[in-house]
Amino acid sequence: MNPRIRAGLAGGIFGALITLISVDQVVYLAGMLAGTTAGMMVAYMEPQKKWLDGLRQGIQAGLLGGLFIVIAKLLRAILINPLIGDSTDLGGQFMLGLNGLVIATIISAIFAVIATLPRPQDLIGRYAMVAILTLIYPWIDQYFQYRFMGEVIPVLVFVLMALGLNIVVGYAGLLDLGYAAFFAIGAYATAMVASPHFGISLSFWLVIWIAAAVAAIFGVILGAPTLPLRGDYLAIVTLGFGEIVPIAATNLDTFSLSILGFKVIDNINLTGGPKGINPINRPYLPGIGAFQSSQPIPWYYLILIIMIFSIFFILRLRNSRLGRAWTAMREDELAAEAMGINIVKTKLLAFSMGATFSGFAGAFYGSYISAIFPESFRFEVSVMLLCMVILGGMGNIPGVILGGLLIQFADRLFLPQLSNMMQSIISSPQVQLPSSLSFLHELSFASDFRLLLFGITLVVMMLLRPEGLIPSERQRMELHADEEPVVEQQQTEVYTARNQETV
Amino acid sequence: MSENLLLKATGIVKQFGGLTAVNNVDFNIPRGSITSLIGPNGAGKTTFFNMITGLYVPTSGTIVFDGEEIQGLKPDAVTTRGIGRTFQNIRLFAHMTALENVLVGQHCRLHASLLGILALTKKVREEEAAAHKRAQELLEYVGLGRSRANELSKNLPYGDQRRLEIARALATNPKLLLLDEPTAGMNPQETDDLTRLMRKVRDELGITVLLIEHDMKVVMGISEHITVLDHGAKIAEGSPEEIRNNEQVIEAYLGRGAAAHGKGGRQTAATGLRT
Ligand SMILES: Nc1ncnc2c1ncn2[C@@H]1O[C@H](COP(=O)(O)OP(=O)(O)OP(=O)(O)O)[C@@H](O)[C@H]1O
Ligand SMILES: [Mg+2]
Repeated sequence: MNPRIRAGLAGGIFGALITLISVDQVVYLAGMLAGTTAGMMVAYMEPQKKWLDGLRQGIQAGLLGGLFIVIAKLLRAILINPLIGDSTDLGGQFMLGLNGLVIATIISAIFAVIATLPRPQDLIGRYAMVAILTLIYPWIDQYFQYRFMGEVIPVLVFVLMALGLNIVVGYAGLLDLGYAAFFAIGAYATAMVASPHFGISLSFWLVIWIAAAVAAIFGVILGAPTLPLRGDYLAIVTLGFGEIVPIAATNLDTFSLSILGFKVIDNINLTGGPKGINPINRPYLPGIGAFQSSQPIPWYYLILIIMIFSIFFILRLRNSRLGRAWTAMREDELAAEAMGINIVKTKLLAFSMGATFSGFAGAFYGSYISAIFPESFRFEVSVMLLCMVILGGMGNIPGVILGGLLIQFADRLFLPQLSNMMQSIISSPQVQLPSSLSFLHELSFASDFRLLLFGITLVVMMLLRPEGLIPSERQRMELHADEEPVVEQQQTEVYTARNQETV
Repeated sequence: MSENLLLKATGIVKQFGGLTAVNNVDFNIPRGSITSLIGPNGAGKTTFFNMITGLYVPTSGTIVFDGEEIQGLKPDAVTTRGIGRTFQNIRLFAHMTALENVLVGQHCRLHASLLGILALTKKVREEEAAAHKRAQELLEYVGLGRSRANELSKNLPYGDQRRLEIARALATNPKLLLLDEPTAGMNPQETDDLTRLMRKVRDELGITVLLIEHDMKVVMGISEHITVLDHGAKIAEGSPEEIRNNEQVIEAYLGRGAAAHGKGGRQTAATGLRT
């Protein structure tokens, strides 16, 4: 298929889905997202040298994407709005759709033109563009009254955690099914030193480092017993730790410790038990004051800053001797050891570095929600994080971010909106549900089907694109090795077949 | 004399369950030499290598390297003390580039600490730049030009993979380089090139070489000392001249009293012995 059509289709479907389920003004956001998708994709699949070619290409892909938005807007006006009592003014809805189309085209064209710049500038330009869109988002949100900020912030917290998990799973190749434990540990550490619970109130700006350090230490403590394990066995043990931490948090509300018959600690309430710890102190900045839950913008920028710092540090790790040691260990542990890499140290550093970023996330989340409960850190969280890493592309930061954004937005915004819409359709007087379908009233679609949907997404991904949406180069080559015509490869196999057994 | 020994192994035994793969072997490597370890398939050569490099712990015996006992040390500790190796069946990091493979080899010679890495101090930046430069040099040294540096190692031609493994081992800055059948599967031209490389490594870099090799032309042409293993036991050692004329060695390769009826690889190997 022509790359422009493909890019336009991808952006268009994306934009149309959002348009279909959302109220009027969201069409601008749909246009932005569709344009970004189309523009980036078309520039990647069909790189151009001349900026005019890029412009043409970007406009074509953007227009196609925008067309979908217009159609979606009309469909909604004709089919859905009458049922749920929204505007049925076709002309007005069409105009809104056109606005979406214009925005999609402009943004797609900008991305495509930027991509025609020479090497470092095109990357800088692309990231600058993404940065601008990200930075102005709160104002877009405010201007059009989306009120999505309350969801956008936890989405970013989860993306941050996915980046941390990516160190463990993507870089070092250690399958960790209990990663949410470190999120919990970071959050509880925060709650203990910055809340009325123990009456300690350290500043958030200190606490976030404490939380990260505590999480890192637990990364080592929980990592140590898994050292001799690989693959499935490692996964099972980490799964166990992932379960132990929330259970311990539930039960540590009456904690006693006696050493040699002496009660050292008598009946202390460490974690608040099933009720958790509530409230937790908020960050304070001179000029802004204490952050408020009703004021999402400072939180938004705070988590963005934490994320950017984290990405920055993760990249440094990645390109260092430590990052190389992680990859080497993932590729061939024995050869890595024979090349002078201390496996114990390298594995523990992977666990603790991964945990560190989860510690940041936990500290932020704890003070953002201002409360923590053991229930927030169950297995499901770990699995969701793993899905985010796999969907986007293991071992690749842009991939992990994309995977995280997709899954999280689907979970927190798209599905709830969809289910709201379904509910209003079902309960609208024009719709007469046959009695055999009356059970639909009982379903709350998002919460009942979300795990099923993730499951399906993962299965489809694994079948069609196991390397993820934006794979790291390594990963892509690994999974599609048989598609590459490598003549010498076969030779190698013949020669080595003889000595398969020995080291 | 004994100060001139880089490695001295005494009474080495390795048992796998009931099987004695290496049986009471004494073995010396003079400093600055090229020493070969030969023997029929399954003689225990690779097992011996693996004990020197810490992959296996000897059942009994001591290995003294450069004045220090190293038996039972972890492989990375052995490598850090100055023993580099290649593997009989190539074990490159398949999905890393040639350059990255060599950089990994330098791991134990780099000093960047976690904090240094996170802060990306000037020292760490300079160390990285130097490491990259050295990796390039090593690739060129073994005959892999700059053009190959950024290819994934699994996509390199077979001969180049063997060379890359040697470059990676050299990157660990070894005093002793162990090569396990480096010319296996190579054509005569590649074998000649590789033989030259081994000699260059010893002559120019002053690295002592221990070689396992089935190609007798290579062994006889390059080694100063040869040790022969058969069924885990040392049956002979000496100069190429002595080994060539050793009845026991010929028997081991050809089977007892069956010189004329020897088969396959053994025939070739033994024919090599005689040349
Ligand atoms: N890990 C192991 N477990 C059990 N037996 C082993 C192990 N490693 C080697 N052996 C056995 O020890 C004996 C010696 O094997 P080794 O690989 O050292 O021989 P080799 O001299 O290197 O032979 P080749 O020329 O075929 O490489 C063989 O019988 C082999 O099956
Ligand atoms: Mg062998």
